[in-house]
Amino acid sequence: MIQTIRIGHLLRETVATPYRHLVTRPTGAAIRGRIQAVLAASECLTALLDFSGIELLDFSCADEVVAKLLLAAEDRDGRFLVLCGLREDQHEAIEHVLTHHHLAVTALRDEDDGTPRLLGWVTADAHAAFGCLCERGALSAGELAAALDWPSARAEAALEALAGHRLVQTDGERCCPLPLA
Amino acid sequence: MTRVIEVPATFDDRSFESFAAAFGEWPPEEKVLVDARGAQWASPYGLLGILTAGQALAEARRERPLLTAPTSEDVRRYWARIGFFRYAEELFEVHGKIPRAPTGPSDVLLDVTPIRGTDDVHAVVEKISESAARILHGELGLEMKATMRFSMALSESCQNIVEHAGTSGWVAVQAYTFRRRLGRRVAVIAVSDAGIGFRRSLESTQAKRFGERWGDGAALEAALIQNVSRFRDPGRGQGLAAIKRFLDQWQGKISIRSGTARLAIVPAWDEDVPLSEHLPFFPGAQVQILIPAQADETR
Repeated sequence: MIQTIRIGHLLRETVATPYRHLVTRPTGAAIRGRIQAVLAASECLTALLDFSGIELLDFSCADEVVAKLLLAAEDRDGRFLVLCGLREDQHEAIEHVLTHHHLAVTALRDEDDGTPRLLGWVTADAHAAFGCLCERGALSAGELAAALDWPSARAEAALEALAGHRLVQTDGERCCPLPLA
Repeated sequence: MTRVIEVPATFDDRSFESFAAAFGEWPPEEKVLVDARGAQWASPYGLLGILTAGQALAEARRERPLLTAPTSEDVRRYWARIGFFRYAEELFEVHGKIPRAPTGPSDVLLDVTPIRGTDDVHAVVEKISESAARILHGELGLEMKATMRFSMALSESCQNIVEHAGTSGWVAVQAYTFRRRLGRRVAVIAVSDAGIGFRRSLESTQAKRFGERWGDGAALEAALIQNVSRFRDPGRGQGLAAIKRFLDQWQGKISIRSGTARLAIVPAWDEDVPLSEHLPFFPGAQVQILIPAQADETR
Protein backbone atom coordinates (compact mmCIF):
# COMPACT_ATOMS: atom_id res chain seq x y z
CA MET A 1 0.00 0.00 0.00
CA ILE A 2 1.23 3.49 -0.87
CA GLN A 3 0.41 6.55 1.17
CA THR A 4 0.84 10.00 -0.33
CA ILE A 5 1.84 12.72 2.14
CA ARG A 6 1.39 16.20 0.72
CA ILE A 7 4.14 18.37 2.18
CA GLY A 8 2.37 21.57 1.11
CA HIS A 9 -0.66 20.59 3.22
CA LEU A 10 1.53 19.79 6.20
CA LEU A 11 3.28 23.16 5.85
CA ARG A 12 0.00 25.04 5.84
CA GLU A 13 -1.17 23.09 8.88
CA THR A 14 2.12 23.57 10.72
CA VAL A 15 2.76 27.31 10.34
CA ALA A 16 0.17 29.94 11.13
CA THR A 17 0.73 32.02 7.98
CA PRO A 18 0.03 30.51 4.54
CA TYR A 19 3.67 30.21 3.43
CA ARG A 20 4.55 28.37 0.25
CA HIS A 21 8.23 28.19 1.08
CA LEU A 22 9.79 25.42 3.10
CA VAL A 23 12.60 27.28 4.83
CA THR A 24 14.38 27.33 8.22
CA ARG A 25 15.37 24.43 10.43
CA PRO A 26 12.58 24.80 13.00
CA THR A 27 9.99 24.62 10.22
CA GLY A 28 11.73 21.62 8.69
CA ALA A 29 11.90 19.86 12.05
CA ALA A 30 8.18 20.51 12.61
CA ILE A 31 7.31 19.11 9.17
CA ARG A 32 9.48 16.04 9.81
CA GLY A 33 7.63 15.49 13.08
CA ARG A 34 4.30 15.64 11.24
CA ILE A 35 5.51 13.17 8.61
CA GLN A 36 6.70 10.78 11.33
CA ALA A 37 3.33 11.06 13.06
CA VAL A 38 1.51 10.22 9.82
CA LEU A 39 3.81 7.26 9.22
CA ALA A 40 3.36 5.99 12.78
CA ALA A 41 -0.39 5.88 12.25
CA SER A 42 -0.17 4.27 8.82
CA GLU A 43 0.21 0.70 7.66
CA CYS A 44 1.57 1.65 4.25
CA LEU A 45 4.69 -0.03 2.85
CA THR A 46 5.71 2.97 0.76
CA ALA A 47 5.25 6.62 1.65
CA LEU A 48 5.21 9.07 -1.26
CA LEU A 49 6.27 12.53 -0.08
CA ASP A 50 4.71 14.99 -2.52
CA PHE A 51 6.50 18.36 -2.71
CA SER A 52 4.34 19.78 -5.51
CA GLY A 53 2.74 22.41 -3.25
CA ILE A 54 6.11 23.82 -2.22
CA GLU A 55 7.84 26.76 -3.89
CA LEU A 56 11.27 27.19 -2.30
CA LEU A 57 13.03 24.43 -0.38
CA ASP A 58 16.22 25.65 1.24
CA PHE A 59 19.16 23.50 2.29
CA SER A 60 18.40 23.70 5.99
CA CYS A 61 14.89 22.43 5.43
CA ALA A 62 16.02 19.78 2.96
CA ASP A 63 18.38 18.54 5.68
CA GLU A 64 15.74 18.65 8.42
CA VAL A 65 12.94 17.07 6.41
CA VAL A 66 14.54 14.56 4.06
CA ALA A 67 18.02 13.76 5.40
CA LYS A 68 16.93 13.42 9.02
CA LEU A 69 13.89 11.38 8.04
CA LEU A 70 16.20 8.94 6.27
CA LEU A 71 18.66 8.97 9.18
CA ALA A 72 15.84 8.09 11.57
CA ALA A 73 15.48 4.80 9.73
CA GLU A 74 14.29 2.97 12.83
CA ASP A 75 11.24 5.27 13.01
CA ARG A 76 10.22 4.21 9.53
CA ASP A 77 9.36 0.74 10.68
CA GLY A 78 10.66 -0.86 7.50
CA ARG A 79 8.83 1.52 5.17
CA PHE A 80 10.17 2.86 1.91
CA LEU A 81 10.24 6.58 1.16
CA VAL A 82 9.85 8.07 -2.30
CA LEU A 83 9.85 11.76 -3.20
CA CYS A 84 7.76 13.30 -5.95
CA GLY A 85 6.66 16.69 -7.25
CA LEU A 86 10.18 18.15 -6.98
CA ARG A 87 11.33 21.04 -9.14
CA GLU A 88 14.94 21.19 -10.35
CA ASP A 89 16.16 23.53 -7.61
CA GLN A 90 14.49 21.40 -4.92
CA HIS A 91 15.98 18.29 -6.51
CA GLU A 92 19.43 19.87 -6.25
CA ALA A 93 18.97 20.98 -2.63
CA ILE A 94 18.00 17.46 -1.59
CA GLU A 95 20.76 15.91 -3.69
CA HIS A 96 23.27 18.19 -1.95
CA VAL A 97 22.24 17.37 1.61
CA LEU A 98 21.86 13.64 0.99
CA THR A 99 25.29 13.45 -0.65
CA HIS A 100 26.73 15.21 2.40
CA HIS A 101 25.29 12.47 4.65
CA HIS A 102 26.01 9.59 2.20
CA LEU A 103 22.26 8.93 1.99
CA ALA A 104 20.03 8.27 -1.00
CA VAL A 105 16.33 8.22 -1.81
CA THR A 106 14.17 7.40 -4.79
CA ALA A 107 12.52 10.33 -6.55
CA LEU A 108 9.92 10.55 -9.27
CA ARG A 109 10.12 13.52 -11.59
CA ASP A 110 7.34 14.48 -13.98
CA GLU A 111 9.80 15.26 -16.77
CA ASP A 112 11.22 11.72 -16.56
CA ASP A 113 7.83 10.16 -17.42
CA GLY A 114 7.53 8.61 -14.00
CA THR A 115 10.85 6.75 -14.19
CA PRO A 116 12.37 6.59 -10.70
CA ARG A 117 15.68 8.37 -10.17
CA LEU A 118 18.18 8.22 -7.37
CA LEU A 119 18.84 11.33 -5.36
CA GLY A 120 21.89 11.51 -3.14
CA TRP A 121 24.91 9.30 -2.77
CA VAL A 122 25.32 5.67 -3.84
CA THR A 123 28.27 3.91 -5.45
CA ALA A 124 28.55 4.02 -9.24
CA ASP A 125 27.79 0.29 -9.35
CA ALA A 126 24.66 0.73 -7.22
CA HIS A 127 23.56 3.50 -9.56
CA ALA A 128 24.02 1.28 -12.61
CA ALA A 129 22.21 -1.60 -10.88
CA PHE A 130 19.29 0.69 -9.98
CA GLY A 131 18.95 1.76 -13.62
CA CYS A 132 19.00 -1.85 -14.75
CA LEU A 133 16.31 -2.85 -12.21
CA CYS A 134 14.07 0.05 -13.27
CA GLU A 135 14.43 -0.99 -16.90
CA ARG A 136 14.06 -4.74 -16.49
CA GLY A 137 12.14 -5.24 -13.26
CA ALA A 138 13.03 -7.77 -10.54
CA LEU A 139 16.48 -9.33 -10.91
CA SER A 140 18.64 -11.70 -8.91
CA ALA A 141 22.34 -10.98 -8.49
CA GLY A 142 23.10 -13.56 -11.16
CA GLU A 143 20.64 -12.00 -13.61
CA LEU A 144 22.00 -8.52 -12.90
CA ALA A 145 25.57 -9.77 -13.39
CA ALA A 146 24.59 -11.27 -16.74
CA ALA A 147 22.74 -8.10 -17.82
CA LEU A 148 25.65 -5.79 -16.97
CA ASP A 149 28.42 -8.24 -17.80
CA TRP A 150 29.74 -8.10 -14.23
CA PRO A 151 31.17 -10.78 -11.96
CA SER A 152 28.39 -12.03 -9.67
CA ALA A 153 30.14 -10.70 -6.51
CA ARG A 154 30.02 -7.19 -7.99
CA ALA A 155 26.31 -7.50 -8.74
CA GLU A 156 25.65 -8.86 -5.25
CA ALA A 157 27.49 -5.93 -3.66
CA ALA A 158 25.54 -3.43 -5.78
CA LEU A 159 22.18 -4.96 -4.82
CA GLU A 160 23.19 -5.09 -1.17
CA ALA A 161 24.06 -1.40 -1.30
CA LEU A 162 20.67 -0.56 -2.83
CA ALA A 163 18.84 -2.68 -0.26
CA GLY A 164 20.88 -1.07 2.52
CA HIS A 165 19.70 2.37 1.40
CA ARG A 166 16.14 0.99 1.15
CA LEU A 167 16.00 1.90 -2.53
CA VAL A 168 14.81 -1.54 -3.68
CA GLN A 169 12.60 -4.23 -2.25
CA THR A 170 13.92 -7.75 -1.78
CA ASP A 171 11.78 -10.71 -2.73
CA GLY A 172 13.64 -13.92 -1.98
CA GLU A 173 16.78 -13.89 -4.10
CA ARG A 174 15.54 -11.10 -6.29
CA CYS A 175 15.53 -7.35 -5.87
CA CYS A 176 12.85 -5.23 -7.47
CA PRO A 177 12.10 -1.53 -7.82
CA LEU A 178 9.79 -0.04 -5.19
CA PRO A 179 6.09 -0.47 -5.89
CA LEU A 180 4.88 2.98 -6.94
CA ALA A 181 1.44 2.35 -8.35
CA MET B 1 32.96 64.69 24.47
CA THR B 2 31.40 63.36 21.29
CA ARG B 3 33.09 60.94 18.92
CA VAL B 4 32.27 61.86 15.33
CA ILE B 5 32.04 58.94 12.91
CA GLU B 6 32.07 60.18 9.36
CA VAL B 7 30.11 58.15 6.83
CA PRO B 8 32.25 57.88 3.68
CA ALA B 9 30.95 59.74 0.62
CA THR B 10 30.71 56.39 -1.16
CA PHE B 11 29.86 53.91 1.55
CA ASP B 12 30.33 50.28 0.53
CA ASP B 13 32.15 47.18 1.76
CA ARG B 14 35.55 48.73 0.95
CA SER B 15 35.06 52.12 2.56
CA PHE B 16 33.41 50.34 5.51
CA GLU B 17 36.86 49.99 7.11
CA SER B 18 37.29 53.74 7.60
CA PHE B 19 33.80 53.82 9.17
CA ALA B 20 34.69 50.95 11.53
CA ALA B 21 38.07 52.47 12.41
CA ALA B 22 36.46 55.73 13.51
CA PHE B 23 34.78 54.01 16.48
CA GLY B 24 38.13 53.17 18.10
CA GLU B 25 37.82 50.78 21.04
CA TRP B 26 34.43 49.02 21.27
CA PRO B 27 32.19 50.14 22.70
CA PRO B 28 33.33 53.78 22.57
CA GLU B 29 33.06 55.61 25.87
CA GLU B 30 32.02 58.92 24.33
CA LYS B 31 28.66 59.80 22.87
CA VAL B 32 28.71 58.91 19.16
CA LEU B 33 27.65 61.12 16.28
CA VAL B 34 27.38 59.35 12.94
CA ASP B 35 27.79 62.12 10.41
CA ALA B 36 26.25 61.17 7.06
CA ARG B 37 25.93 64.71 5.72
CA GLY B 38 28.57 64.15 3.06
CA ALA B 39 27.23 60.76 1.93
CA GLN B 40 26.64 60.61 -1.81
CA TRP B 41 25.89 56.92 -2.16
CA ALA B 42 25.61 53.95 0.18
CA SER B 43 25.26 50.26 -0.60
CA PRO B 44 22.89 48.12 1.50
CA TYR B 45 26.03 46.81 3.25
CA GLY B 46 26.95 50.34 4.32
CA LEU B 47 23.45 51.21 5.51
CA LEU B 48 23.17 48.03 7.54
CA GLY B 49 26.58 48.85 9.03
CA ILE B 50 25.17 52.11 10.42
CA LEU B 51 22.16 50.31 11.90
CA THR B 52 24.39 47.59 13.35
CA ALA B 53 26.57 50.21 15.03
CA GLY B 54 23.45 51.79 16.53
CA GLN B 55 22.18 48.41 17.70
CA ALA B 56 25.55 47.46 19.23
CA LEU B 57 25.73 50.79 21.10
CA ALA B 58 22.20 50.26 22.43
CA GLU B 59 23.02 46.70 23.52
CA ALA B 60 26.19 47.99 25.22
CA ARG B 61 23.92 50.47 27.07
CA ARG B 62 25.78 53.46 25.68
CA GLU B 63 24.15 56.85 25.33
CA ARG B 64 21.74 57.08 22.41
CA PRO B 65 23.90 58.07 19.40
CA LEU B 66 23.19 60.92 17.00
CA LEU B 67 22.85 60.59 13.25
CA THR B 68 22.89 63.51 10.84
CA ALA B 69 21.06 62.71 7.61
CA PRO B 70 22.72 63.23 4.21
CA THR B 71 22.64 66.77 2.87
CA SER B 72 21.72 65.55 -0.60
CA GLU B 73 17.96 65.28 -1.01
CA ASP B 74 18.36 62.48 -3.56
CA VAL B 75 20.45 60.47 -1.13
CA ARG B 76 17.98 61.07 1.71
CA ARG B 77 15.13 60.02 -0.55
CA TYR B 78 16.90 56.79 -1.49
CA TRP B 79 17.72 55.99 2.13
CA ALA B 80 14.06 56.60 2.96
CA ARG B 81 12.93 54.39 0.07
CA ILE B 82 14.99 51.42 1.25
CA GLY B 83 13.50 51.84 4.74
CA PHE B 84 16.72 52.89 6.47
CA PHE B 85 15.30 55.83 8.44
CA ARG B 86 12.39 53.76 9.77
CA TYR B 87 14.85 51.74 11.87
CA ALA B 88 17.54 54.42 12.25
CA GLU B 89 15.02 56.53 14.17
CA GLU B 90 14.63 53.69 16.68
CA LEU B 91 18.39 53.57 17.32
CA PHE B 92 19.63 57.12 16.73
CA GLU B 93 18.55 60.63 17.44
CA VAL B 94 18.28 61.62 13.79
CA HIS B 95 18.94 65.20 12.73
CA GLY B 96 17.98 66.55 9.32
CA LYS B 97 14.88 66.50 7.20
CA ILE B 98 13.66 62.96 6.63
CA PRO B 99 11.51 62.57 3.53
CA ARG B 100 8.54 60.25 3.42
CA ALA B 101 9.47 56.99 1.74
CA PRO B 102 8.69 57.32 -1.98
CA THR B 103 6.55 54.63 -3.55
CA GLY B 104 6.59 53.12 -7.04
CA PRO B 105 9.04 50.93 -8.96
CA SER B 106 12.60 50.85 -7.67
CA ASP B 107 15.76 48.77 -7.67
CA VAL B 108 15.13 47.76 -4.07
CA LEU B 109 14.31 44.06 -3.97
CA LEU B 110 13.95 44.00 -0.22
CA ASP B 111 13.77 46.98 2.11
CA VAL B 112 15.90 47.06 5.22
CA THR B 113 14.25 44.33 7.29
CA PRO B 114 15.00 43.25 10.84
CA ILE B 115 15.68 39.55 11.39
CA ARG B 116 14.69 38.56 14.91
CA GLY B 117 13.46 35.00 14.45
CA THR B 118 12.50 32.32 11.96
CA ASP B 119 9.18 34.01 11.16
CA ASP B 120 11.15 36.94 9.79
CA VAL B 121 13.12 34.59 7.53
CA HIS B 122 9.85 33.18 6.18
CA ALA B 123 8.52 36.68 5.58
CA VAL B 124 11.71 37.80 3.82
CA VAL B 125 11.69 34.80 1.47
CA GLU B 126 7.99 35.31 0.76
CA LYS B 127 8.54 38.99 0.00
CA ILE B 128 11.64 38.59 -2.18
CA SER B 129 9.99 35.96 -4.37
CA GLU B 130 7.71 38.65 -5.79
CA SER B 131 10.50 40.84 -7.14
CA ALA B 132 13.46 38.47 -7.52
CA ALA B 133 12.31 36.97 -10.82
CA ARG B 134 11.66 40.42 -12.31
CA ILE B 135 15.11 41.73 -11.47
CA LEU B 136 17.32 38.63 -11.62
CA HIS B 137 15.80 37.13 -14.74
CA GLY B 138 14.43 40.25 -16.38
CA GLU B 139 17.28 42.67 -15.72
CA LEU B 140 20.34 40.58 -14.91
CA GLY B 141 19.73 37.86 -17.47
CA LEU B 142 20.03 35.00 -15.01
CA GLU B 143 18.13 31.79 -15.71
CA MET B 144 14.87 31.40 -13.81
CA LYS B 145 16.39 28.63 -11.68
CA ALA B 146 18.94 31.16 -10.39
CA THR B 147 16.06 33.11 -8.86
CA MET B 148 15.24 30.22 -6.54
CA ARG B 149 18.87 29.74 -5.61
CA PHE B 150 19.19 33.43 -4.88
CA SER B 151 16.24 33.11 -2.48
CA MET B 152 17.89 30.06 -0.92
CA ALA B 153 21.09 32.05 -0.38
CA LEU B 154 19.02 34.81 1.22
CA SER B 155 17.23 32.33 3.47
CA GLU B 156 20.42 30.62 4.63
CA SER B 157 22.18 33.95 5.28
CA CYS B 158 19.30 35.23 7.39
CA GLN B 159 19.10 31.96 9.33
CA ASN B 160 22.74 32.41 10.34
CA ILE B 161 21.66 35.46 12.34
CA VAL B 162 18.88 33.56 14.10
CA GLU B 163 21.06 30.54 14.87
CA HIS B 164 24.46 32.04 15.60
CA ALA B 165 24.39 35.76 16.37
CA GLY B 166 22.74 35.64 19.75
CA THR B 167 20.86 38.82 18.89
CA SER B 168 18.84 40.22 16.02
CA GLY B 169 20.15 41.59 12.73
CA TRP B 170 19.21 43.16 9.44
CA VAL B 171 18.91 42.26 5.78
CA ALA B 172 18.46 44.33 2.61
CA VAL B 173 18.59 43.39 -1.06
CA GLN B 174 19.09 45.75 -3.96
CA ALA B 175 20.08 45.79 -7.62
CA TYR B 176 22.40 48.49 -8.91
CA THR B 177 25.06 49.12 -11.51
CA PHE B 178 28.49 48.16 -10.24
CA ARG B 179 30.46 50.55 -12.40
CA ARG B 180 33.81 50.73 -10.63
CA ARG B 181 34.75 47.09 -10.47
CA LEU B 182 32.50 45.35 -12.98
CA GLY B 183 30.62 47.74 -15.24
CA ARG B 184 27.49 45.59 -14.97
CA ARG B 185 24.28 45.40 -12.99
CA VAL B 186 24.43 43.35 -9.82
CA ALA B 187 21.98 42.06 -7.23
CA VAL B 188 23.33 42.38 -3.72
CA ILE B 189 22.22 40.73 -0.49
CA ALA B 190 23.54 42.45 2.62
CA VAL B 191 23.10 40.85 6.03
CA SER B 192 24.46 42.28 9.26
CA ASP B 193 24.10 41.63 12.96
CA ALA B 194 25.56 43.02 16.16
CA GLY B 195 25.96 39.60 17.74
CA ILE B 196 28.81 37.51 19.06
CA GLY B 197 30.60 37.08 15.72
CA PHE B 198 32.09 33.97 14.13
CA ARG B 199 35.05 33.64 16.50
CA ARG B 200 32.96 33.42 19.66
CA SER B 201 30.34 31.28 17.94
CA LEU B 202 32.91 28.66 16.93
CA GLU B 203 35.40 29.02 19.78
CA SER B 204 34.24 26.09 21.92
CA THR B 205 34.50 23.57 19.08
CA GLN B 206 37.30 24.98 16.88
CA ALA B 207 39.80 27.01 18.91
CA LYS B 208 41.81 23.99 20.04
CA ARG B 209 42.06 22.66 16.48
CA PHE B 210 43.53 25.93 15.20
CA GLY B 211 45.80 26.47 18.20
CA GLU B 212 47.77 29.73 18.06
CA ARG B 213 46.23 30.59 14.70
CA TRP B 214 42.79 30.90 16.30
CA GLY B 215 41.19 34.29 15.80
CA ASP B 216 38.59 36.08 13.70
CA GLY B 217 40.30 35.12 10.43
CA ALA B 218 40.62 31.44 11.37
CA ALA B 219 36.97 31.37 12.48
CA LEU B 220 35.85 32.78 9.12
CA GLU B 221 38.04 30.23 7.35
CA ALA B 222 36.49 27.40 9.37
CA ALA B 223 32.96 28.55 8.55
CA LEU B 224 33.29 29.64 4.93
CA ILE B 225 36.04 27.36 3.60
CA GLN B 226 35.68 24.27 5.79
CA ASN B 227 31.89 24.53 6.29
CA VAL B 228 32.24 24.04 10.03
CA SER B 229 29.36 24.81 12.37
CA ARG B 230 29.24 25.19 16.14
CA PHE B 231 26.49 22.55 16.25
CA ARG B 232 27.49 18.91 16.52
CA ASP B 233 24.68 17.96 14.14
CA PRO B 234 26.51 16.62 11.03
CA GLY B 235 23.95 18.26 8.73
CA ARG B 236 25.01 21.73 9.81
CA GLY B 237 27.34 24.01 7.88
CA GLN B 238 25.81 23.19 4.51
CA GLY B 239 24.13 26.56 4.01
CA LEU B 240 27.34 28.47 3.31
CA ALA B 241 28.64 25.55 1.23
CA ALA B 242 25.53 25.70 -0.94
CA ILE B 243 25.78 29.48 -1.28
CA LYS B 244 29.37 29.11 -2.48
CA ARG B 245 28.33 26.57 -5.13
CA PHE B 246 25.59 28.87 -6.35
CA LEU B 247 27.97 31.83 -6.49
CA ASP B 248 30.61 29.81 -8.32
CA GLN B 249 28.06 28.92 -10.99
CA TRP B 250 27.02 32.55 -11.53
CA GLN B 251 30.41 34.26 -11.01
CA GLY B 252 29.12 35.73 -7.78
CA LYS B 253 31.01 36.89 -4.74
CA ILE B 254 30.57 36.45 -1.01
CA SER B 255 32.45 38.31 1.67
CA ILE B 256 32.05 37.95 5.41
CA ARG B 257 33.44 40.40 7.93
CA SER B 258 33.47 39.51 11.60
CA GLY B 259 35.37 41.15 14.42
CA THR B 260 38.75 42.15 12.99
CA ALA B 261 38.82 39.97 9.85
CA ARG B 262 37.17 39.73 6.48
CA LEU B 263 37.15 36.71 4.18
CA ALA B 264 35.94 36.72 0.58
CA ILE B 265 35.48 34.16 -2.16
CA VAL B 266 36.74 36.31 -5.01
CA PRO B 267 35.52 35.70 -8.57
CA ALA B 268 37.78 36.29 -11.58
CA TRP B 269 36.29 39.72 -12.34
CA ASP B 270 37.22 41.16 -8.94
CA GLU B 271 40.58 42.05 -7.41
CA ASP B 272 39.58 41.90 -3.76
CA VAL B 273 41.91 40.39 -1.17
CA PRO B 274 40.62 36.94 -0.04
CA LEU B 275 41.58 37.36 3.63
CA SER B 276 42.10 40.61 5.49
CA GLU B 277 43.10 40.43 9.15
CA HIS B 278 43.92 42.98 11.86
CA LEU B 279 41.12 45.26 10.67
CA PRO B 280 39.47 47.69 13.07
CA PHE B 281 37.07 45.80 15.34
CA PHE B 282 33.39 45.98 14.44
CA PRO B 283 30.68 44.07 16.31
CA GLY B 284 28.88 40.97 15.00
CA ALA B 285 29.10 39.77 11.41
CA GLN B 286 28.50 41.43 8.07
CA VAL B 287 27.82 39.37 4.97
CA GLN B 288 27.60 40.55 1.38
CA ILE B 289 26.52 38.32 -1.50
CA LEU B 290 26.78 39.76 -4.97
CA ILE B 291 25.41 38.25 -8.19
CA PRO B 292 26.42 40.02 -11.42
CA ALA B 293 24.34 40.32 -14.56
CA GLN B 294 25.42 37.64 -16.95
CA ALA B 295 27.79 38.87 -19.67
CA ASP B 296 26.23 38.93 -23.16
CA GLU B 297 28.19 35.88 -24.30
CA THR B 298 26.72 33.76 -21.50
CA ARG B 299 23.13 34.96 -21.91
